[in-house]
Amino acid sequence: MTSQVIEGGAPSRGRAFLASFIKNILPAVPLLLIVGFFFLFPIARLIYVSFLSNENTFTIDNFKTAVQEPYRTGFLNSIKIGVFSAAIAAFPGAIAAYFIESRGSSKLRRTIAVMSGVLANTGGVPLAFMFYAALGIQGFLTKFLKYLGWDLYAGTFSLGSFIGLLVVYLYFQLPLMVIVFSPAIVSLRREWSEAARNLGASQFNYWIRIGIPLLFPSFIASFLLLFASGFSAYATANALTVGNLPLTPLQIGGLLDGNVSAAQLNLGKALGVVMIVISACAVIPYLAIQRRSAKWQKR
Amino acid sequence: MAKALRVRFQPPLAVTLLILGFFVFIPMVSAFEYSIRTPLTGGYGWTHYLWAIREEEFFHYIFRSGWLAGLTVLITLIVLVPTMTWLHVSKSPIRPLIDGISLLPLVIPVVAFAVGAQISFPEFVQNTVLELPFLYFVLALPYAYRSLDIGLNSIPLKTITEAARSAGANWWRTITAVIVPVIRGSVMATIALTFALSLGEYTLTVLLHWDTFPTWVTFVAQDNILGAIAISMMSLIIPFLILTVITLFVPERSMQGRK
Repeated sequence: MTSQVIEGGAPSRGRAFLASFIKNILPAVPLLLIVGFFFLFPIARLIYVSFLSNENTFTIDNFKTAVQEPYRTGFLNSIKIGVFSAAIAAFPGAIAAYFIESRGSSKLRRTIAVMSGVLANTGGVPLAFMFYAALGIQGFLTKFLKYLGWDLYAGTFSLGSFIGLLVVYLYFQLPLMVIVFSPAIVSLRREWSEAARNLGASQFNYWIRIGIPLLFPSFIASFLLLFASGFSAYATANALTVGNLPLTPLQIGGLLDGNVSAAQLNLGKALGVVMIVISACAVIPYLAIQRRSAKWQKR
Repeated sequence: MAKALRVRFQPPLAVTLLILGFFVFIPMVSAFEYSIRTPLTGGYGWTHYLWAIREEEFFHYIFRSGWLAGLTVLITLIVLVPTMTWLHVSKSPIRPLIDGISLLPLVIPVVAFAVGAQISFPEFVQNTVLELPFLYFVLALPYAYRSLDIGLNSIPLKTITEAARSAGANWWRTITAVIVPVIRGSVMATIALTFALSLGEYTLTVLLHWDTFPTWVTFVAQDNILGAIAISMMSLIIPFLILTVITLFVPERSMQGRK
């Protein structure tokens, strides 16, 4: 099963090419066709159309509008909610992942993995309604907090506000952190901590010089992924806000549904492209760090 | 960790689990309390749950979301398992390309993808709900790909395929009768993940104007918020329970295939 191509003279070059195609590419064609048609093509077309004016001529006006109000605030809010929700969830999530992965039994670890998966993925709409029921004005949790002397709704709090949405986002960001960060913990080898201890390092020394430096890149990578997830979340925000909090995904949704009309037909596409660029700034470094640490994480 | 450590009581772990438990279950229990309130009598009851399952559309949309998710799983398995097996066995020069492409959906926000999908597909694609399983397949691709990749990396794939091939099995039989059973942990994880993602997908579905179970819930909420909450509770708790029970009873070590 080598990938050598049969060497041949000029007449059989065509056949050699065919042989190499069958050997090297043909089995991937179904996957490439599906991904090409259902994914790469729409994204390419999105980027192309975002540069078209209403008269189908080339323009960058869509992008000019996309960075002006109210879309500017939309982007700032989306970035803010991405950063805050990731920052708040990252550290507790990492600690939880550490204790679960290093001290938990295998059954416990698997159960947590599945539960985190459900919470981080199923999310969206049911999550929004769950929080509406728990933390709404009539919610049990609201009443309980009030009983404890903390009236949530004394100020300007509502679930559709920035703070309200942040609380709901944490509910899927924290499990996501546990999922994304766990592989890094698993790959910390016990021999390293034993070796450090044998060489006279204290627990503290071990963490400062070995543990934390090793985990740091994965921590940053996980943070970036969480940011991207908070930045582009749509379902929860759509169900909880009523147009009072400008967020880019909601603005795009509004333009797409025709609920909001804009002078430029292709403004929504430009907003989408800017979202892709921002998201790529976080996810590509995440993937790069992951790839690098996967090298030493292999046992 | 050493075996002796496993059995011993672990205070930091216990505290972690306790805090996580509060974090997860307090909102859930609190929402559940809300969902069984009966405003008319002022007591508690299953009114909203009964209302939901008596709605004709409830089962209609569960069924629809179910078969769409099932189809997505089928596409994933039929396309991904053979292709990835082949990628791992042959030293194809396009493997880095496919590795990269399969991670790409992580980069693209679903909202942006939805806009692209809406302006790209020819009418005959846009007019059929069958476009959804293919789009869900794309959304689940990074996770499915990684999960299968872990499984295929953890076995001596080359030896196994060569053994099967020299024993006279064709490629199809090698994959279905030998490879899939060997990496069944990864395959199960892929199935669970793809199914769950397709079942809960909302953003793409609603922006492309299709109706599935999750979009129906938001529709219900417009005039019966308590009913919508009851349905949401069911759609969170039921997969939670089913998947937890499955993981606890399926003795498989490679279930952690996600991300």
